[in-house]
Amino acid sequence: MWTAMPDRPEPPGMDRTSEFALSVDDLTVAYQEKPAIWDIDLEVPEGVLMGIVGPNGAGKSTLIKAVLNLIPRAAGTVSFYGKPYERARSLVGYVPQRGSVDWDFPTSVIDVVTMGLYGKLGWFRRPGKRERELALFALEQVGLVDFVDRQISQLSGGQQQRSFLARALVQDAQIYFMDEPFAAVDAVTENAIVDILQALNKRGKTVLVVHHDLQTVAQYFDWVTLLNVEVIATGPTAAVFTPENLRKTYGGQVASLNGGILAGAAGG
Amino acid sequence: MMPLERWLIELLLNFVTREELNAFLRSPQNTAMLVGCLIAVSGALLGVFLLLRGMSLTSDAISHTVLLGIVVAFLLMTEVFGLHGDTSSPWLILGASLAGVGTVLLTEMLYRSGLVKQDAALGLAFPLLFAIAVILVSRYVEDAHLDEDAVLVGEIGLAWANTNSHCFANCESVTVAPDHEAAKFARQCNNCRELGISPRDERAVFSETCSNCGEYNPAQAWSAGLLEREPVLVFFPKSITVMLLLTLLTLGFVLVFFKELKLSTFDTGLAQALGFRPGALHYALMILVSLVAVGAFDAVGSILVIAFFIIPPAAAYLLTDRLAMMLLLSPLIGGVGAYYGYDLARGQLFSFIAVADGIAVLNRLFGLSLPEEWDSSISASMVLMIFILFLLAWALSPRYGLASTLIRRANRRRVFENQVVLAHIHNHQHTTAHDIELNVDHLHEHFRWTERKMSRVLTGLRALGYIRIIAGSAELTDRGDRQVHAFRKTMLEAHNIPDLP
Repeated sequence: MWTAMPDRPEPPGMDRTSEFALSVDDLTVAYQEKPAIWDIDLEVPEGVLMGIVGPNGAGKSTLIKAVLNLIPRAAGTVSFYGKPYERARSLVGYVPQRGSVDWDFPTSVIDVVTMGLYGKLGWFRRPGKRERELALFALEQVGLVDFVDRQISQLSGGQQQRSFLARALVQDAQIYFMDEPFAAVDAVTENAIVDILQALNKRGKTVLVVHHDLQTVAQYFDWVTLLNVEVIATGPTAAVFTPENLRKTYGGQVASLNGGILAGAAGG
Repeated sequence: MMPLERWLIELLLNFVTREELNAFLRSPQNTAMLVGCLIAVSGALLGVFLLLRGMSLTSDAISHTVLLGIVVAFLLMTEVFGLHGDTSSPWLILGASLAGVGTVLLTEMLYRSGLVKQDAALGLAFPLLFAIAVILVSRYVEDAHLDEDAVLVGEIGLAWANTNSHCFANCESVTVAPDHEAAKFARQCNNCRELGISPRDERAVFSETCSNCGEYNPAQAWSAGLLEREPVLVFFPKSITVMLLLTLLTLGFVLVFFKELKLSTFDTGLAQALGFRPGALHYALMILVSLVAVGAFDAVGSILVIAFFIIPPAAAYLLTDRLAMMLLLSPLIGGVGAYYGYDLARGQLFSFIAVADGIAVLNRLFGLSLPEEWDSSISASMVLMIFILFLLAWALSPRYGLASTLIRRANRRRVFENQVVLAHIHNHQHTTAHDIELNVDHLHEHFRWTERKMSRVLTGLRALGYIRIIAGSAELTDRGDRQVHAFRKTMLEAHNIPDLP
């Protein structure tokens, strides 16, 4: 179902049955009048595995937070499958940056994973046996089944990231937002996470990942958005992840990057 | 509040007689202990969330600024609406909770300006509001229920005396009007002060006023001798009612919103993304903290109350790593501390050691002449006792305590030393240089250890059956060999180091 914006006529020729998993329209977020992201237009088709790439301070995390209504928007609209966020909560899964929480919090791994189900439970209802089973299943998928009752501070960084991933998996969402899931994890964990993302993608889920490492973009993602306050380019990786676009995104910085990335990009 | 008290008394009267109940409530000790425990329980419950949100000191700020709310509400009541000012009035409580929320808002506003850090913002906001409160008190409020002493440590020892009376039989209210037989009159000079003359001066003008006219409830009427039959009365301390209500409110809040509080404390972002309202919960928490701070104000003052918010959760945090358990232990520690704190104030440590004896020993040992009787501030002693419990947790907690940390560290060091020596023997025992490398008399030189340390480790390894010593040279037993491989497997696997052949 495509709901047209009231103040903006539906573009002619728009196929009514095709819908985007996420449409962002003219989104601007400012921190004290300094724009963090500027006039973002973004349309993400259903079922893509998309990397959001850009230099430090490009507004990648800000984009995710603004889309999920976690920070105030200065302007713009966002819709998920044609619905505003308030009516699409159950379709959306979110994995914040690992550093955004206190891992010394007195709780266990399974408890953290169960938190992903709180949204479905709603106010007042407590998680029960069914929720525990769902959480266990998610922990199995991320390979943490031996750590179920561990205090979360006793996990390694990679294991913490995986528990966050399990928490998103139990949400059983249609579209996932992941804020730097590969930050400070070792190669083994990174591969495990990529496997999970691709498995999600195979099941038809749309996955958006804030990513830092240009070397792996072409390998991991079939769709990419290059961001530097504004959207520089967005589309299939093969078409968009070009030397030209990277130069626009990173400015002079890209000159010092080795040609392998761009060659890899061209090959991807 | 009165109907609630009455209901509670009627409930209690099913189990005890009226005389027993009155005797219990008229004991300063029982009321002080009860009020202290209730403050400790409600403070400790809320404190858990303050601690985990990294805002323990917000309770400090709030407990001070509620004074502003109390004073402003007091002035509004007495000056603007002409009501009687009473510190347990709902208006004062409302004012106080608004002041508490105001403090948090002001702090956040200062912090969000980006010009001051969070701790500084708190430090800026609350002294400002407190200073305004102090100025208002000293300028406008003469009725001293808000003096400096009360602000410091409160008057929990007097909590028993401030009661509501409830009448159950022979209830007779009396109105004494000037024509009542018991009315007393006093002659008063109307213009003496104005003219600066003595009442004997002939210009003095007198009028008669009734000195005891007014409404007498049954309790007042009986004590003024206006009744013939003694009414059946129960005197219920107001502090107990207030703190009981607040404790139940806090407990209910924590139980009902347990899941929501946990999520929004651990991960505000996810809580918001899932459609919970972390902001609303945050302010609900702040309102409760303000309410408890006001309720506790009379009893323990605005400084010591902080201890009831901070110390029990800090102790509970050391004892468990589950939130639910922490919410159980924290009020338990607070309550036990408050209970034995009263004993401490009266000279008993955990009801079996007399403080006087301790002082007597000090006096004898050092030739001092400290007074041996011990009678000190109840609220301060409660805080001291809660802190003693914290110290016990800090030293003895099985997982995070000082003692267990030291033991664990020593254990780890011993295991590590054993493994280092075993690995060395393993690496050299089949090489040509093994008689040089593994000579037990010189082994310590290779490690640059002291001879004593090496011989201790070797003795330990032999006792465990990991090595044997043949012709002055160490070699692994089968058991020791297995141990070396097992250790490599568990400890080094994470670093992708291949197993030994």
